[in-house]
Amino acid sequence: MNRYVKLVHMEVHRFRYVLFGMMLLTAIWQTIGVIYYAKVRMDGWREAARLGNYAPRPFSFADIIGDSQFWFALPILISITVLGLYIFLIWYRDWIGRDKFAYRMFALPTARSNIYLAKATAILLFVFSMVSFQLLLLLLERQLFNGIVPSDYRMSSLFSEAVAANRVFELPLLPLEGVRFVVYYGTGILAVFVLFTAILLERCYRWLGIVYAILYVAACGTAIGFAANLNPYGYFYPSEITAIRLGIYLVVMGVTLALGFRLVSKKITV
Amino acid sequence: MIELIRVSHRYLCRKVLKEVTFAAEKGQITCLIGLNGAGKSTVLKAIMGLTPIHGGTIQIDGKPIGRDTYEQVSYIPDHLAVPPSMKLSDALQFMEDFYSRWNKDRASELMRFFGLDYRERAGRLSKGTAAKFNLVLGLAQDSDYIIMDEPFAGIDLFSRESIAEVFSSELVGSRGVLLTTHEVGEIEHLIDQAVLLRDGTVARTFECEQVRSEEGKSVVDVMKEVLLA
Repeated sequence: MNRYVKLVHMEVHRFRYVLFGMMLLTAIWQTIGVIYYAKVRMDGWREAARLGNYAPRPFSFADIIGDSQFWFALPILISITVLGLYIFLIWYRDWIGRDKFAYRMFALPTARSNIYLAKATAILLFVFSMVSFQLLLLLLERQLFNGIVPSDYRMSSLFSEAVAANRVFELPLLPLEGVRFVVYYGTGILAVFVLFTAILLERCYRWLGIVYAILYVAACGTAIGFAANLNPYGYFYPSEITAIRLGIYLVVMGVTLALGFRLVSKKITV
Repeated sequence: MIELIRVSHRYLCRKVLKEVTFAAEKGQITCLIGLNGAGKSTVLKAIMGLTPIHGGTIQIDGKPIGRDTYEQVSYIPDHLAVPPSMKLSDALQFMEDFYSRWNKDRASELMRFFGLDYRERAGRLSKGTAAKFNLVLGLAQDSDYIIMDEPFAGIDLFSRESIAEVFSSELVGSRGVLLTTHEVGEIEHLIDQAVLLRDGTVARTFECEQVRSEEGKSVVDVMKEVLLA
C-alpha cells in the first residue's frame, strides 16, 4: 500500500476514539433535544385540545429543529472546538511526552511532504466524517420524530427546511447553496494548510518561529480578507472578481504548500 | 561509509557543531565520545535529517541524505519513539508496513532474545525494557548502518549486559555502527574507532586497537587526556 495512505490510516487510527466520542455525544445530545421538544409540543397540543380553546397547528420535524437550537448547536460547537484544537495537536502530540514519536515519523522512508499531506487529509476526513454523520443523524432523528409523534400532531417538512431551521447548520456548517458550500469549505481547507505551515514555522525556528508564524497567518488572512471584500459593484465585472478571488486563493494555497513542504523536508528539528 | 565533511550546525546564535569531519565505515563500530553538550546527539540527528545543517555535507555511501537513507540507516534514538498507547505487536507491524527492508524473522528472534511481551503497551515499559524494544526496532531492519544514541543511558547492569551482547552478535554482523555513549568502559573492547567531540568540534579521531598497541592507552585514557585537558 502507498505510504501516504498508510500515514493517513495511522493518523485516523490515532484519533478514532475521540472521533467516535464526538459522534456519540452529538447523537445522544441531539436525540435528547428532539425527544424533549417533541414532548413539549405534544403536551402543548394535548393541553390545548383539553381546554378546547383552539386547534393548534400540527408541527414538523423542522419546527423541532428550530425549537432545539441549543441542543443541536452545543455538540457541534464542541466538535468544531475539538477539531480546531486537534489541528495543532496532530503535530505537537508527536513532540510531547517521554516518547517523542516525531523521531520515528520523520525517519520513515517516504517523502516528508507525505507526512504533511497525511495529517491534513486526516483533519479533512474528520471534518467531513462529522458533517456526513450529522446528515445521517438528521435522517435518523426524523425517523425518531415520526416514530414518537402521532400522525395527528405532525406535518411533513422538507429535509432542507430542517437544515435551514438551525442557525449552526444554515450558516457555517451545511450551507444549502452549492457555491457557498464550496467557498466555506474551500476557505476552511486553506485555513488548515495555513495553520499547518504556521505550526511548522514554529517547530523549525522555535521562539523566532512564533513571530514568523503570526506574520504568516496575518499575511494570508489579509490576502483572503481582501479577496472576500472585493466590491462586486465596483470597477470589475462579477466574473472578473470571481477570477481575482480564485487567483488570490490559489496563490495563497500554492505558497502555503510550497513553504510547508520545504519546512518539513529541509528545516524541521525534532 | 557515513561521511561528514565540515558539518556545521547552529541553534539561534550558538554554534553547536563546528566543521565536524569524520567517517564511519561499514563493518566497524565507531563511537562518538564527548561530555554533555558536546554535540554528539546533534551529529546523529543531522545524519538522519532530523535537524538541519548550516554548512558542510553528509553522505551515505557517497550519496546525499534522502528518503532512501532511512532504509539504509537504522536510527535508534535515546528513547523509544513509539506512541505510548501502541502495543509492541502494533509497533512491529508499523515498522513492517513502512520499511521494505524490515526483517520479520529477526524481529521475532530479537523479541525472544530480550524476552519481550508482544501484548505490552509501549507507554508501560520500564526504561530498560523500552531500551531493549528500541533496539529491536532498529536492529530488525536489514540496514547497512545502525546509529544509536546512548543505548545504555539509565539502564540497569543486567540489561546493559544483554544490550552489549548484541554488539558482538550476528544481529549487528557486518553492518556499520555509529553510537554515542557515556559508558565507554562497558563497550571499550568492542569499539573499532573513536571520535572525540569537544564543544562541537572533533578533537581527535583514532583507531582504538592502534592506540592500545602503540601508545598502551585505553579509550578512557585518551578520552581523559583530550577532553579534560
